Amino acid sequence: MIRHHPEKDMMLEYAAGTLPWALGLAVAAHLQLCPRCRQQHEQLNVIGGSLLQDSDCEQPDEGAFERLMKRIDRSAAESAPAEMKQSEANSRLPADPALVNLPRVIRKLVADNLPLKWQRVSPALKMTRLNTGQEQYEVAFHRIRRGGRTAEHDHRGQEVILVLHGRFSDADGVYVPGDFLVRRPGEIHRPIATEDQECLCFSVVEAPVAVTGVLGWLVNPFLSFRPG
Amino acid sequence: MALEQRTNGIKVQSEHNRDDDWSTLLLLVGSKRDRAAFERLFHHFAPLIKGFHYSRSHQAMSPEAADELVQEVMFRVWRKAPSFDARKASASTWIYTIMRNCRIDYLRRNSRHLTESDIEVDDIWDETPDSQPFAVLQQRRNERDIAEGLRNLPAEQSHVLEKAYMEGKSHSEISQELGLPLGTVKSRVRLALKKLQGALKRPE
Repeated sequence: MIRHHPEKDMMLEYAAGTLPWALGLAVAAHLQLCPRCRQQHEQLNVIGGSLLQDSDCEQPDEGAFERLMKRIDRSAAESAPAEMKQSEANSRLPADPALVNLPRVIRKLVADNLPLKWQRVSPALKMTRLNTGQEQYEVAFHRIRRGGRTAEHDHRGQEVILVLHGRFSDADGVYVPGDFLVRRPGEIHRPIATEDQECLCFSVVEAPVAVTGVLGWLVNPFLSFRPG
Repeated sequence: MALEQRTNGIKVQSEHNRDDDWSTLLLLVGSKRDRAAFERLFHHFAPLIKGFHYSRSHQAMSPEAADELVQEVMFRVWRKAPSFDARKASASTWIYTIMRNCRIDYLRRNSRHLTESDIEVDDIWDETPDSQPFAVLQQRRNERDIAEGLRNLPAEQSHVLEKAYMEGKSHSEISQELGLPLGTVKSRVRLALKKLQGALKRPE
């Protein structure tokens, strides 16, 4: 069962459309896995709808409606926009068990980043950076092999983690697919995958991560910050 | 259209009916490509969309940009009307989500942080109705309760919601602008949401 959700103010920034693109991706993927948050999101949209309904009226520029209808007539003459890119995207996904049950926004992201190039960070950890159309945040998949232990690390910036496949645990608990975690600077943690299967996580990082172990620099995947 | 009513209790009722009327028009646009219905929707919503982004009380955009946004939003309303489902959202909420996505597109086009990608605004801010069974009546009641709750919020709480939704400001931008600690802005947002969601759990 999903027990970790985005906080309300992040949900509000998402519904208001002010959340940065990369964080929006993580929230969208969580919503596609979490009916409870989807319902909350609909309520937050209703706030937007009510504010729209109660807005001051400002008359649009002269001839706005006629201009719009001309554009509509022109676009009707052209062909309809291509729909169903999704199924096309699905057929191109690699046969990787960790990538089978992804939320649709992540599936599309994978399809747009093929072929995925997994880098071995440590014996237990592989990662691949993902281009998402922005360069403010570093977005990546991390996969930890069954029972694998990663290096203890700290964060200089906020990190958002969404579990997509398998489970991992740290000192605070066990996290399952759909769990949405926020790690703030100063929160040291050391994820360990459970013994039964490998674990895939989607992560969005605001700034490079610092490793706290003595030899940590050897295994820090974020020392070279390359946004994507 | 619903009759204008004076008494308070009935006024809420008539507002609800009015929103049903906009939904009916939207359904006509979707199923019959009804231009007369679309024109009435335009004359109602275009001034609201413009006022949402540019009015005497705040200028989140220049009037020219707000006019361009009106064109784009109403164009997408026409195109997407066949997917409007009146059981899931009111016309104003549905149009709000289209407007929000247009604004993200607009800001993104003017951003320096843009890189090439297939991911589009509608992939991330995806309002495709999910196929799960849905408490339809509940949703419509929620819409009314939230609208009413919003009007009854203390000014300092509704103010931060307006800044977030209408001026498109992040919580940290709001805290800078109002000279308040970020924690205060966040707690006002949370209090406001708690009140609005409290309204939803009210006994029948």
